[in-house]
Amino acid sequence: MTTQVSAKTSPNSLRNLLHILIGDWDRTQLSISFLLVALMAISPLFISSPYYMGIIILACLYAVIGISWNIVAGFTGQLLIAHIIFLAFGGYTTIVLLNTFRIMPWVGIPLGGVVAALAGWVIALITLRYGLKMDYFALFTIALLVALRTLFLKWDFVGGAVGMYLRLAEPSVPKMIFATKPPYLYIAISLLVFGILVQYQVYRSKMGKYLIAIREDEAAAAALGVNTSKYKTIAVMIGAALAGMSGGFYVMYVTFIDPTGVFNLGVNVEIIMAGPIIGGLGSLLGPILGALVNKPIAELVRGSLAESRSGISLIVYGLFLITSIMVMPKGLAGLCHSLYLRLYRPNKNIE
Amino acid sequence: MSPDIFFQTLVNGLFTGGIYALVSIGLTLIYGVMVIVNFAHGEFLMLGIYTAFWSFTLLGLDPYLSIPFAVVLIGILGAMIQRGLVQQVLDAHPLNQIILLVGISTLIVGLAQFFFSAEPKSIHVSYETEVITLLGLRMSIPRLIAFCSSLVISFGLYLFLQHTRLGKAIRAVSQSREAAKLMGINVNYIYMLTFGIGTAITAVAGVLLSPNHRMIPTMGQTYSVIAFVVVVLGTMGNFVGAFIGGLIIGVVEAYAGFFLGGDVKIIASMLIFILILLFKPSGLFGRKRT
Repeated sequence: MTTQVSAKTSPNSLRNLLHILIGDWDRTQLSISFLLVALMAISPLFISSPYYMGIIILACLYAVIGISWNIVAGFTGQLLIAHIIFLAFGGYTTIVLLNTFRIMPWVGIPLGGVVAALAGWVIALITLRYGLKMDYFALFTIALLVALRTLFLKWDFVGGAVGMYLRLAEPSVPKMIFATKPPYLYIAISLLVFGILVQYQVYRSKMGKYLIAIREDEAAAAALGVNTSKYKTIAVMIGAALAGMSGGFYVMYVTFIDPTGVFNLGVNVEIIMAGPIIGGLGSLLGPILGALVNKPIAELVRGSLAESRSGISLIVYGLFLITSIMVMPKGLAGLCHSLYLRLYRPNKNIE
Repeated sequence: MSPDIFFQTLVNGLFTGGIYALVSIGLTLIYGVMVIVNFAHGEFLMLGIYTAFWSFTLLGLDPYLSIPFAVVLIGILGAMIQRGLVQQVLDAHPLNQIILLVGISTLIVGLAQFFFSAEPKSIHVSYETEVITLLGLRMSIPRLIAFCSSLVISFGLYLFLQHTRLGKAIRAVSQSREAAKLMGINVNYIYMLTFGIGTAITAVAGVLLSPNHRMIPTMGQTYSVIAFVVVVLGTMGNFVGAFIGGLIIGVVEAYAGFFLGGDVKIIASMLIFILILLFKPSGLFGRKRT
């Protein structure tokens, strides 16, 4: 009731501002996303413990990774299950460039994104050329993951089974090595802001509508003149590029990468799939909400319980995925959406 | 490669292939009837091998005697998972189906690690290293038993599907859900039954594998991936195709292992898989799809 009154009496400028910020659900999601980003950005003021800072940094990174998968799987409905291969490509590119060619990560991370996008392009080209759809595409990506793991385990140039380690060095800005956590946080936040903007642009553009049409009914979309192959390829490339850049930063932050850790379906569930699914696949807000829930819970589970017994984190993730699909397939963002409709709709009716 | 080694490798490959065939038959049966790829499939093999381990450790039973336990326990577990979870997403977007099954798989592996611990385990029986020599070919007793059992079970299941009323009902549902429903077949019951049978025979494959085999809770993943390869090779949903595909992949892996080394052999199956997916996704026995 109070909201109705205030909306009537408020000056025009405030009304316009409100309209811009929460005028429709998409904008509201964007506003909430940036609110959450802002909270993360000021978190170093309240949190000094490196452990909790680390959780926030990784939650931020998981949000970017979630966005990258959301564009491919959530918007377009492509069953790119083993999305983590793009993260691996980006990570390996960044660290190989740094260790072997002395190219700084500030260049290496974007290049990692480029390499991952190219890999995405090749995969999309091959699978679309041969018309692989749905289950077959999912199986193809999993087979690729297994094949790449074996290949990387044997490939000495990228460190074989041992993987690649960041050479320990004095903290230096060009090498992206810092003694404290906040610089890492701000890099992760820049990535996240970039990811949020890309996701919003894709979603609101004509292309976003095409992607959703493809997800809902590919044959119908094609019949209406949507070039489905083209847009599916672009979606995969954008998703791959974001995942690749996240992979690059991930390597700089955790300081190593190895084939069994990264070409791993369990890890794939944890850092790619769980977040967007809990948060709400296909929504703008989902990957961010999901990551903010996913990472802290994962840490909690690992910190308090895993020491006594192994397997707890897998149980938690398994239950996450199952309950998300069975109970709330639209995820947390779906809950927020119904809440939004309940609070905001009465307002609109008056106008 | 001398002829002895050639034939010895062939025999080894066929023996492994027998297990693959059994696992893949379970997967293809489920896919054929429900058009859902069971991403948790390998986990049922893992549960089977642990059933053998626990009945051996706790009850002192010979691994092969735990087959009835595995069939009943894991068959019922599979049926329950189908009725309680998979049934609810049969008409959902394939992405939701896959996510659900990946979740089930993750949960099963987690529970196995929690209750059985992540440490590798194995069963040692008196006959595990015994070998018989036939026509100059050495055959390990447990693997010979596993191979023969796979053949018998596959053949038995084939007869069941071809000649019993229930088997015919399963095939009818896989041909057309709607028509089967109109003929008075309880489709949902057939779904549950098929999932149960599919998981039970996969569990049997696990039991057959158990003597002298290292077991860890994450081992199912490898078998899932192999079963995907086999099932696509032998045409998704095709029973005979899965059987022959299993033997083919077993043999290919054996030769790849010989030439490339044990840990790279999976590359060979993945290569076959990718090539099949790209050039003939309908598999060896597939007709052109309309």
